[in-house]
Amino acid sequence: MADPGKSRPTFAAEAIPSDIKSGVFLGNSILDNVVTCLIAMGAELWSTKRRLKVIEAVMTKTGVTPEMIEKYVPSEAETAEWEKERDRFIDLALGSLGNEGFRSVSASFPKRG
Amino acid sequence: MIGRRTLFGAATASVALGTMLRQQFAEAAETMRAVGGFTPRGADGRLARMATLDLESQQDFTLGFRLMQSKAIRAASMEAFDKVLARKGIDPATPVTVEEMLAMVEGEPSIHIGQRTWLSNQQVTWKTLQDHFHAHADEYLSEMEAADKAGPGSLELNPQMDIPDYARHEIHIQPGGYVGDPFAGHIYHYGTNSFYISVLGHNEQDQIQKATAARFPIPEDGKVKRILDMGCGVGQMTVALKERFPDAEVWGIDVGGPMVRYSHMRDRRLGVGVNFAQRLAEDTKFPDNYFDIVISYIIHHELPAEKTRAVIAEAHRVTRPGGVYYPLDFNNGGVKSPARPMYGRWMDHRWNNEVWSLEYHSLDFTAEIAKRGFTMVKNAKAALPGFGARHAIKA
Repeated sequence: MADPGKSRPTFAAEAIPSDIKSGVFLGNSILDNVVTCLIAMGAELWSTKRRLKVIEAVMTKTGVTPEMIEKYVPSEAETAEWEKERDRFIDLALGSLGNEGFRSVSASFPKRG
Repeated sequence: MIGRRTLFGAATASVALGTMLRQQFAEAAETMRAVGGFTPRGADGRLARMATLDLESQQDFTLGFRLMQSKAIRAASMEAFDKVLARKGIDPATPVTVEEMLAMVEGEPSIHIGQRTWLSNQQVTWKTLQDHFHAHADEYLSEMEAADKAGPGSLELNPQMDIPDYARHEIHIQPGGYVGDPFAGHIYHYGTNSFYISVLGHNEQDQIQKATAARFPIPEDGKVKRILDMGCGVGQMTVALKERFPDAEVWGIDVGGPMVRYSHMRDRRLGVGVNFAQRLAEDTKFPDNYFDIVISYIIHHELPAEKTRAVIAEAHRVTRPGGVYYPLDFNNGGVKSPARPMYGRWMDHRWNNEVWSLEYHSLDFTAEIAKRGFTMVKNAKAALPGFGARHAIKA
């Protein structure tokens, strides 16, 4: 664990760490890790959405209402740019779902050089 | 017993004091982060708002996930458990040992998904909090340093204390546990708010501790001059006791230096006036017969059985004749239970890192108290509904 108070007294002592990260609950440690990642991702995503709600609320007080945001019609250029961005995001976030794994980690290269 | 006059007087004083403290606290909360370089975000009643919107939102998510998990995912997990028991021809009501239960669930991920998600959520809760406090360590340390020597209460830290190994574990998988992180108190306080909401209800305003403190019994002669809270954690119960008995000398002791340090800083913001000290519950350093009331709040399931016995003996030493000892903790589960509750108990012990909880459950805690010179009150009332009611009086 990082020691944030190296130069001043913190009154902390050495702890005996838990071994939670070594636990396999789902039969495969990768699945366990993915669950933790998904929850962490959810926390990050929700904090972003919640910030947007705050921004909308603040903007409303300055004259920009949620209705104005809902009714906004993007220009053709904006639409094209945003679709490109959408497709990149989907490919990054979910493209791996189409992978078909069949080689073991010890398999040699199918073709090299 | 509390008389009508005592009650009425206390209630009137408490309203006036409460109004004054709320004003003081709102002011303190508004200014405290400015000292540390944060933009003040104000306070939600007694609770200083988390320093950033993102941190608050991350905790909001893990709370929401916990609520969903405790219903939907847990239910699916338990349904899977029942199916496994049915497949193996095991009666769900038959008491089993831990070992027998573990043999039933080995290699059954459909059961374990409930615990996996719960623990992963717990890890994210702690990590987001710890990351924040560490990223702003200088500011938060300065804030505590500024409070260390200030009143109205007092703070005693013992950096040379030989902290026993049993207390060094990362209980609830909180990184650093109660002794190993400079911000253990901060992390524990904000992190456990979601524990409370999912099990007992909202506690951001110390509602649980205030209601519980109001139910703790007092000595028959009505004299309450000194109160001790053994293993006080972040001092929520200790503060609630001082608010109930504003004229009493109230002490909170805990093995964790960062815990009592945070407790004192928070007590100061609230303007209450508790005395906090880094000391062991089995070696409190107080004189014999010093306290009218000695309580503890869910610490015994965090202790090895031998330490539980030592703490009870110490409580007996420092409680005055006629004084009340009320160690609040879970009902003991015994060494055998039906498979599902035994599974929950094991997971809490082994993977939520409640290292000593199985020892606690194997004890007859009430009998251990009675063996050490206390008279147990028959049909005692639970100060916190659903928990054990151990109301002891020193002869």
